[in-house]
Amino acid sequence: MGTVKSILSFCLCCLLLTAKAQEEKPPNWTLNGYVKQLQTALKFDGLDAYLLDNLFHNRLNFRWYPTDQLNVRVEMRNRLFYGDLVKANPAYATQVELANNDFFDLSFHTINKNGWLLNSTIDRAYVQYVKGSFEASLGRQRINWGINTVWNPNDVFNAFAFTDFDYEERPGSDALRVKYYTGVASSVELAVKASKTWSDRVVAALYKWNIARYDFQALLGVANQELVFGGGWAGHLKTAGFKGEWSYFIPFNSDLSNSFALTLGIDYTFSNSLYLNLGYLFNDNGKTGGSLAELFNFELSAKNLYPFRHATFLSVGYPITPLLNAAMTWIYSPVSSQPLFLNPTFTYSVGQNWDLDLVGQLAFSDVQGKYKTAVIAGFLRLKLSF
Amino acid sequence: MTRICWILYLLLGTLTVGAQDATEIITIADQRARGIKSSQGEMKMTIVRPNWSREISIKSWSKGTEYSLMLITDPPRDKGTAFLKRQKEIWNWQPSIDRAIKLPPSMMMQSWMGSDFKNDDLVRESSVVVDYTHMLLGEEVINGREAYKIELIPKEDAPVVWGKVISWVGKKHYLQLKSEFYDEDGYLVNIMLGKDIKELGGRLLPSRLEMIPADEEGKKTVIEQKSIAFDVPIDNQFFSLQNMKRVR
Repeated sequence: MGTVKSILSFCLCCLLLTAKAQEEKPPNWTLNGYVKQLQTALKFDGLDAYLLDNLFHNRLNFRWYPTDQLNVRVEMRNRLFYGDLVKANPAYATQVELANNDFFDLSFHTINKNGWLLNSTIDRAYVQYVKGSFEASLGRQRINWGINTVWNPNDVFNAFAFTDFDYEERPGSDALRVKYYTGVASSVELAVKASKTWSDRVVAALYKWNIARYDFQALLGVANQELVFGGGWAGHLKTAGFKGEWSYFIPFNSDLSNSFALTLGIDYTFSNSLYLNLGYLFNDNGKTGGSLAELFNFELSAKNLYPFRHATFLSVGYPITPLLNAAMTWIYSPVSSQPLFLNPTFTYSVGQNWDLDLVGQLAFSDVQGKYKTAVIAGFLRLKLSF
Repeated sequence: MTRICWILYLLLGTLTVGAQDATEIITIADQRARGIKSSQGEMKMTIVRPNWSREISIKSWSKGTEYSLMLITDPPRDKGTAFLKRQKEIWNWQPSIDRAIKLPPSMMMQSWMGSDFKNDDLVRESSVVVDYTHMLLGEEVINGREAYKIELIPKEDAPVVWGKVISWVGKKHYLQLKSEFYDEDGYLVNIMLGKDIKELGGRLLPSRLEMIPADEEGKKTVIEQKSIAFDVPIDNQFFSLQNMKRVR
């Protein structure tokens, strides 16, 4: 009996020791994510009532580190849409699917009837191999080459609409990406997006370097039948942050004209935590008139980031209390229809893992001599992170 | 090599006791809290307010005042977010959007994640040794421990947000027992207390730092050091944009 007991306690000791040894190294996989409920109220010009919609949203982020060199990342969003817009728009399901897919079809509708839509999309699924300063990633991944806060002319792989604030992770691209770090803050990389034809192929290289406390980057590639080259920087003017980004597009088809996009931004945080961000966008492909209503449904890309030729941006953020942050963003275009986009945001930390956001999106513009609100949208979002 | 440094440091420590000037005391205390060359550890920060509290857990690596890397491990919302500091530059890694963001220098003066610490206190833009002049004001007893009372005045052009700091350093183990932070107009802003003294990383240290705003009752920010290792060799290359994305 005594022997059994000592064997048992020895085993227990070993177990405890191994458990302790394992504690020191983080586990070789992680799973986290969130659940959120988004309530939307939306009103278009000419519509009497508000459209009320709901989105129940779950995200799962899974990471596996089978060896020190290898890591696998799979992330999935499961979304249940229901409400007026889902009911009223027969193309809703198709639009959701199109907006989220790339080369491979990784989006599935489980329910799609009577104004209810349950969609699951895998927006990250890639393997990354790392050896020393070399990295290679294959699969659906986010290739985020942008520097600026709002508009990113260098984001040739997956430019995003800032109006879609509920999708902070942004869509992924089915791509192969190879990167070599030439120094602590410099690298060279090449990325190729999967495509069936040349017309939607994106192949680009990016070189990053750092001089005199400035990060610089230069970009060269082919995107959607256009030669694109560009660059950007992130540095400082005194103690303010100073960022800029530009791209020049030359279509292969000589009937089409070249285009240029440039953004500049300055941000500053005061000692009382008041945050200011000032920006400007020049967009060759933008219009000089028209309603801002199209902001919500226009085809966005790195070469056309906003519907208008010029746009100025001002964002002010302030923590009213440590738990409640208020921010206001103005985007104004100095063109004939005077389009103005307002985006007030309140973020409240309800608990350690609970957040509540109240967001407004208001679009004003001059339509036939009348200054009108083309779109008014309000969003209330509750989020639990785990 | 580390061992030799350690012996030298102990020797220097014992030799100079009794005949020290304020700068030496601050230097030894700073090296003790931070490691002569480097340190790495895990800590939990709790922001305490009269009606609520929030917790953040961090893993950190630092080398001198020039290099540091911090990784948030909890809460889940911010998990994986990292901050890299190399000399005067700071980058922030946001894993959810796959982007490294260069932070403006003005961000240093901002409160860190709503706490009573400034970014500067944590990322350590400034050095208590290099950026201040030191003067021994006398000796006082703090929590039953005899301590040197030292005044620190920032040098001109030093990247320091304070107007003056008064620091109490334990005579026996050079522990930072208490510090008072004053603004440029001479008003007391924050009081920092070093508590729960125990052995961490092979040396006696306060395992709990409390930062208390001077004129606001019921508020404080507590940092509990879970583990720490000193002077484990870390290559300068460790503090890279590549590694900021990779540390776990």
